[in-house]
Amino acid sequence: MSALLACNGLTMRFGGLTALDGVDIAVGKGETVGLVGPNGSGKTTFFNVLTGLYKPSSGAVRFAEADLFARSPQEIGRAGVARTFQRSRLMLDQTVFDNIAVGALGRLDLGLMTALVRRSRFRRQLSALVEQATALTRRFNPQIAANLFRPAGSFTMIDRRRIEICRALIGAPRLLLLDEPSAGMTHEETRQLMDDLLAFREEMPDLAIVLVEHEMDVIRRISDRCIVLNFGKKIFEGPFDALIADREVQTAYLGGGE
Amino acid sequence: MSMLQLAPTLDTANGRSVGLQRVVVALTVAVLFAGGGFLLHTEEQGQVIALLAAFVALFALGEKLPAGRRVAALCVAHPGTVNLTAAVMVLAIAAALREEHYTLLMMATVALFATAAAGLTLQMAFAGVPNFAGAAFFAVGSYVAAVLGTSGIPHLLVLVIAGLAAAVLGLLLLLPVLRTRGHYAALVTIAFGLLLRSFLEVNDVLGGPQGMKVPSFSLFGLSFSRVTEIGPYDVSFYLPYALAGCFLFALAFAVVRRLEFSFAGVALDAVRSDEVSASVFGLSIARWKATAFLMGNALIGVAGALYGMMNAFVNPNSANFGDSLIMLSILVLGGLGNLWGAVVASVVILVIPEKLQAIQEFRLVIFALLVIAILRFRPSGLMPRVTRDFSSFAKEG
Repeated sequence: MSALLACNGLTMRFGGLTALDGVDIAVGKGETVGLVGPNGSGKTTFFNVLTGLYKPSSGAVRFAEADLFARSPQEIGRAGVARTFQRSRLMLDQTVFDNIAVGALGRLDLGLMTALVRRSRFRRQLSALVEQATALTRRFNPQIAANLFRPAGSFTMIDRRRIEICRALIGAPRLLLLDEPSAGMTHEETRQLMDDLLAFREEMPDLAIVLVEHEMDVIRRISDRCIVLNFGKKIFEGPFDALIADREVQTAYLGGGE
Repeated sequence: MSMLQLAPTLDTANGRSVGLQRVVVALTVAVLFAGGGFLLHTEEQGQVIALLAAFVALFALGEKLPAGRRVAALCVAHPGTVNLTAAVMVLAIAAALREEHYTLLMMATVALFATAAAGLTLQMAFAGVPNFAGAAFFAVGSYVAAVLGTSGIPHLLVLVIAGLAAAVLGLLLLLPVLRTRGHYAALVTIAFGLLLRSFLEVNDVLGGPQGMKVPSFSLFGLSFSRVTEIGPYDVSFYLPYALAGCFLFALAFAVVRRLEFSFAGVALDAVRSDEVSASVFGLSIARWKATAFLMGNALIGVAGALYGMMNAFVNPNSANFGDSLIMLSILVLGGLGNLWGAVVASVVILVIPEKLQAIQEFRLVIFALLVIAILRFRPSGLMPRVTRDFSSFAKEG
């Protein structure tokens, strides 16, 4: 069986700096991969290359049998790759619903005629989307579903992160990239968010997830397989238990060694 | 926060209270419009100052008192009642002041500048594309009216062509505007405005520095400048212009509002607030910025065409940078993204200096102070944009 996502020799150079150095990463349908590594090891760069924000220098990216190497973010987004960001990128003064709707815009009718003249068509799409957004947010937190038309800025950090995840999920992606979902949250909040994600994964067994995380607990609980990057190179791939025992990984994190 | 941003928590459960709410809204809007109409009309310095004081007091009450905030929230919750009352009041004011040339001229000017502000709203408030050449696109409309007005093309069509011409000229700017952001995009538009003005000055076909005469607007063979009576009533020939201007604004208002309350509106907000995340969710930044920029310029061009026809005259000075800044101050003062705010700000910026002769000479100084004061005390304008709330639409659907 071929993988959903297959990156081969993916390389990203910024001038003299090689942020990704011939990385091979494959992710299968329904698989959750934890991506770890020290600061500056290239994890977020990998996400940015994968979502088209950076144009990779060389390599190959195949996603669901399509060539996504150096495509635009728009094409990649429409192909079914969604992501969250390390720092919240919600529109805080807009309602939760509007924020989540952004994730669905790719499949909605954005035509000016629908906006200006064919209002009944717009209303039908709107009602359907409100239902979907309500159902989706309710799985994460019923309080969000009940306050769908409140500004996103009036919610706590954990709820904002949930909203961001819902925004990524409403477009029914096949691959979800989570960039440090636990950033800025307490242990308890992180644990709750992981419960949400695990519960959600049960319901969408086909969804592939790549998770960048510093919280090792999170990685341990949620990932089927781990990949460690260091200085843009893949230095480890395997189950979490092996990761903990791996000498090279320990050296990368703790320094020392020889 | 501002009075219009407070989310309304209203008991719309029983019909009687909804009816009562509508009455309160209608009365509020009627009082505001009546005051505005009176301000347009009166020449007495004392009355002008008293009216201004009353408006400031009303705004302050609406902000500070719970009851005032509740009324403001009601107005947000019943946009249909607001619009209907406003339309009725405009007709009533026009009917009452039907013979007053000057008042009707002011009314038409306010309506047309507010229409241009609607165009700028699409560009700046929705898509985040700065346009410091509003007056230039406005002048393009006037020039199109001057050139095509005598050609025998029906004038309604001339208005449409003026809008298209402004949009097409905006195309020239599109590439540099899409490739730059923020201050740099603003500079591009400033340069365009200056270039256009110089071009008009040296171009003899378009009358050079003297400009051109613009024929009066005529609708189905009826020239507006010849209208002196309607039925048994004597009227000013500015009356049809005032009504046409208000009608144009109503159209622009409907376009902007429908766009705002659609998925295209969500897309524009997403593009403005965060290009990176908008791209990741599949939105084309160029498409949405271009859409807003072209549509906005088209609205400005149409307003400019009717304005030129009303003034019967256009010259290169119409495209000056100062007037572009006036349009921007209308937008900023009123509140980016709130068209009622643009109407209020048009009155403040266009009418008040005319009414208070004492400040005429200091007009620019007072503008500057006003803008600084607004930025200091109400950074999001007199009437900030109300957070879009789709919930009422969804229920009906």
